[in-house]
Amino acid sequence: MKKRGFFATVGNWFKRAFFGGSKELADASMDVEEIVSPIKQIWRGFLERKLAVAAACVVIAMFLIVFIGPFFMPKYYDSYTEVTQKNVPPTSSMLSVPRAMKNQVRCIDSYGSFTVGVSDEGETFVWGTTKLGTTGIDIGKIPEEVKNDKIAIAAAGIDHIVAVSEAGKVYTWGHGGLGQFGYFDPAKYPNIISEPEELMNGTIDVSNIRKLTCGYQCSAILMNDGTLYLWGNKNTYQNIEKFIGRDDLIDIDFTLNYIVGLTEAGNQIVTGTRGLYDQYRGNINEKPLPSREYLAGRKIIAIYGTSNNVCAELDDGSLCFAGDFPSNSIPMPALHAGEKFLEVCSGTYHYTGLTSEGRVLSWGGNTLDQTLVPEGMTDVEKIYAGAFQSYAVNSNHELVGKWGLKGYFFGTDTYGADIFQRIIQGGKMTMTIGAVAVIISSIIGIIVGCISGYFGGKVDLLLMRVTEIFAAIPFLPFAMILSSIMAQSDISENKKIYLLMVILGVLTWTGLARMVRGQVLAARENEYVVAAKAMGVKEFTIAFKHILPNIISIIFVSLTLDFATCMLTESSLSYLGFGVTYPRPTWGNMLSGANNATIIKNFWWQWVFTSLFLAITCICINIVGDTLRDVMDPKSDRDK
Amino acid sequence: MGKYVLKRIGFMLIVMVILSILMFLIYNLLPSNRAYTDARADMTTMKQQLRGKSDAEKELVFQERYKEYQRLYGTDTKNMAIRYLRWIGVYPKYYGNYDGLLQGNFGYSYELKDTVLNVVKEPMKNTIFINIFAMVAALAITIPLGIVCSTHKGSKGDQAVQVITIVGYSLPSFIICIVFIWVFCSLLGWFPPSGMKTPGSNYTGWKWFVDRMYYLALPLISMTFMSMGGMTRYVRASMIDALSLDCIRTARAKGVKEKTVIYSHAWRNALIPVVTLVVGWFIGIFGGSIVFENMFGLNGMGKLMIQSLRTADCDVIILLQLFYVAVSLIGNLVIDLVYGLVDPRIRVSA
Repeated sequence: MKKRGFFATVGNWFKRAFFGGSKELADASMDVEEIVSPIKQIWRGFLERKLAVAAACVVIAMFLIVFIGPFFMPKYYDSYTEVTQKNVPPTSSMLSVPRAMKNQVRCIDSYGSFTVGVSDEGETFVWGTTKLGTTGIDIGKIPEEVKNDKIAIAAAGIDHIVAVSEAGKVYTWGHGGLGQFGYFDPAKYPNIISEPEELMNGTIDVSNIRKLTCGYQCSAILMNDGTLYLWGNKNTYQNIEKFIGRDDLIDIDFTLNYIVGLTEAGNQIVTGTRGLYDQYRGNINEKPLPSREYLAGRKIIAIYGTSNNVCAELDDGSLCFAGDFPSNSIPMPALHAGEKFLEVCSGTYHYTGLTSEGRVLSWGGNTLDQTLVPEGMTDVEKIYAGAFQSYAVNSNHELVGKWGLKGYFFGTDTYGADIFQRIIQGGKMTMTIGAVAVIISSIIGIIVGCISGYFGGKVDLLLMRVTEIFAAIPFLPFAMILSSIMAQSDISENKKIYLLMVILGVLTWTGLARMVRGQVLAARENEYVVAAKAMGVKEFTIAFKHILPNIISIIFVSLTLDFATCMLTESSLSYLGFGVTYPRPTWGNMLSGANNATIIKNFWWQWVFTSLFLAITCICINIVGDTLRDVMDPKSDRDK
Repeated sequence: MGKYVLKRIGFMLIVMVILSILMFLIYNLLPSNRAYTDARADMTTMKQQLRGKSDAEKELVFQERYKEYQRLYGTDTKNMAIRYLRWIGVYPKYYGNYDGLLQGNFGYSYELKDTVLNVVKEPMKNTIFINIFAMVAALAITIPLGIVCSTHKGSKGDQAVQVITIVGYSLPSFIICIVFIWVFCSLLGWFPPSGMKTPGSNYTGWKWFVDRMYYLALPLISMTFMSMGGMTRYVRASMIDALSLDCIRTARAKGVKEKTVIYSHAWRNALIPVVTLVVGWFIGIFGGSIVFENMFGLNGMGKLMIQSLRTADCDVIILLQLFYVAVSLIGNLVIDLVYGLVDPRIRVSA
């Protein structure tokens, strides 16, 4: 009882602080009419309007989000692209392993935005983003025959899944239009290698499969006897033909653009391309050495490929790496003395390894938190990794840990970048441009208006004619031309943005100048100005020091509304491609992709969230500005 | 009145000249050199004749052609003032001929291989039609709506309209386009998302008109909606001001019918600020329709403008720009003149 009373009191304080006092209190204080300053009166009038107060809170919140938010995104950079994560809808299901297979994990694999898993009972599960782009295919709809069969092993590509049943039947589903599976006439489709006949109609010996793996639009099954089934789209893997018909491989994997293989000899990574992956290093941050020098007689026994580099396991138990690593990669953690890796898995950029001491380590690319291994996993026996996720399983085949990319709050754009992060970064840019443009335009407008209004006569005539000329310039076409000239000249990207602010500012000051002039004209006749004149104050001082503060509140309202206008103009320009251009995000150019019905319908998240942010910010700013103007206007009646 | 109009037109012409100078200077910043490209093109066509000649000789031929073209186009001098006057058509070119805007030479579009006048004709027709249609439609909706809102000030309906209109005028046009395409094309499937006519069709007469209106319906609806927000608020505000005038109280006291009070007495007074806004806004939508034309794939001036800017088709850009300037200047003149018509108190002869 007492507690509730306390909370009610505190609640009342806040209510009174933000929405004004209660009716009784107001009536009580109305007995004695007090004299308040205009600013205070405006402030009180503003607080009486709940909608406006709420709008002001939203605007402030938006400001804080876009200006403080970037500090929490240290990994963000503008030109980030990720080919395997394009057009992913808002989801957080990328790590949600279905409950039915949590305690009986047989295998997990992923490459793109969805993951396929098989339980010990041979049941197949798919989770993550299962709808594939504009194709309308839902890869999560597992075919009936697969549901009825017992699956032994499965692997996922970017948009297809290959599964082999315990009886050796090979099932494929997903998007099959680009050679991922099925038969393609070589004469008609020269760039596609069809799925081998014996896989489509016959069976293979499951116990003999050494490796089943899928790449971008390719798949490979490697048997213990060296037989290699390899099929898919030639355009995605340049060296695919060099592997067709080989039977001497003991391991195979896919990087983003190449297939990598390993022969019994184990002295190099086979790519069929000279000079590729032939320099090795012991860890990511070490200097690479030529293969023969580094290996010094040791043999490679297994390879694991990520997008742009390959990890090779040597016969002495150590690991080495070939290929390029981005500068922000996390190096492989040091092992204890005598510790060695029992198992290594690779995702799109990261590696996960299980050591002989039962430790689980992740390293490599960490742009989407792939290497943040959770603490306290015990009895880990097997690990799985794919795309941006890793999973750890104990000896009872129970899932004990999962880490990596959960999904995207607002989805991803056509380049695979997180829309949420780009909205925040873009908002910073949009708001900065709007604010600076308004400041520039208001400085020009106030100076011209004050001088013109106060001095009058010829000065006024001249300045007003100049204003008319500027007002006659059609805004959008003119700004487009200036920015296209800017784009063709070779100045730096930052300077272009500064110039854009100046262009916006210089083209929008006329309205404010006219308004200030009118206000000054009216204020000039006031007694305080006459008094100042009589005291011999300088004309210039009267204009800027005596009159200006008296009309500043009206200017401020106009600035608020202009700020919204400038933001909208910048967005329109950027949307048309004449303002800030990709890769720099602004709320305008983030929407420029949404210009046809297909994208608008299928990739709704690419425009809905950005539009909402832009719209809500502008609407709230306009509500605040409108309310301020209403409150300041003595003619407007308050009784509504 | 006549003197005033002349004065305004005189000032308008001066502004036009100043702006055309400004624009001419800006366009000369665009990286395009007609004489040079033409001379280079000639060199490739003359390949047969030039076979076997040395590089120096070829260079000589090229320089000759280049100079020839520069003289033809009036760019054989570095003096910007002379070039500008030649472009206008009041200063003779190298051969003593006058060939500028005043002589009807608006230039040549390199991308579309036609004179600019021919290139611009069709888009200009479309743009003017779209804009005028949208304006009439918007006025037909907003004026009654604004009046009704002002007479029912503070009612639930009025508050709803206030909220909707503030949303309408706070949104950038492209977001409205996106939302409308999403609702009307993707969800409901009522209208085609882009284009001017059924692809491959060759209708005439009435059928052509129906087909065209079917394709233009969505752009027109979104343009109308876009314009409604600000207009409605403005009509409402000026009507509220007008309704609080003393003359209205007098009229009501006399027992004049409420309808007459509103539509005859108050509306006449509210008209003045509305007229200013209508004309100003008409100028604005010409610029604003760039976004709509681009979004809906309409063959209008905005689309032509973006296309020409991307390909640096200078002559087209400068003519379009002059058109926009002319629209805005004429608009300003019309505002001033209409003031006198709607408000007898204003002495236009001042």
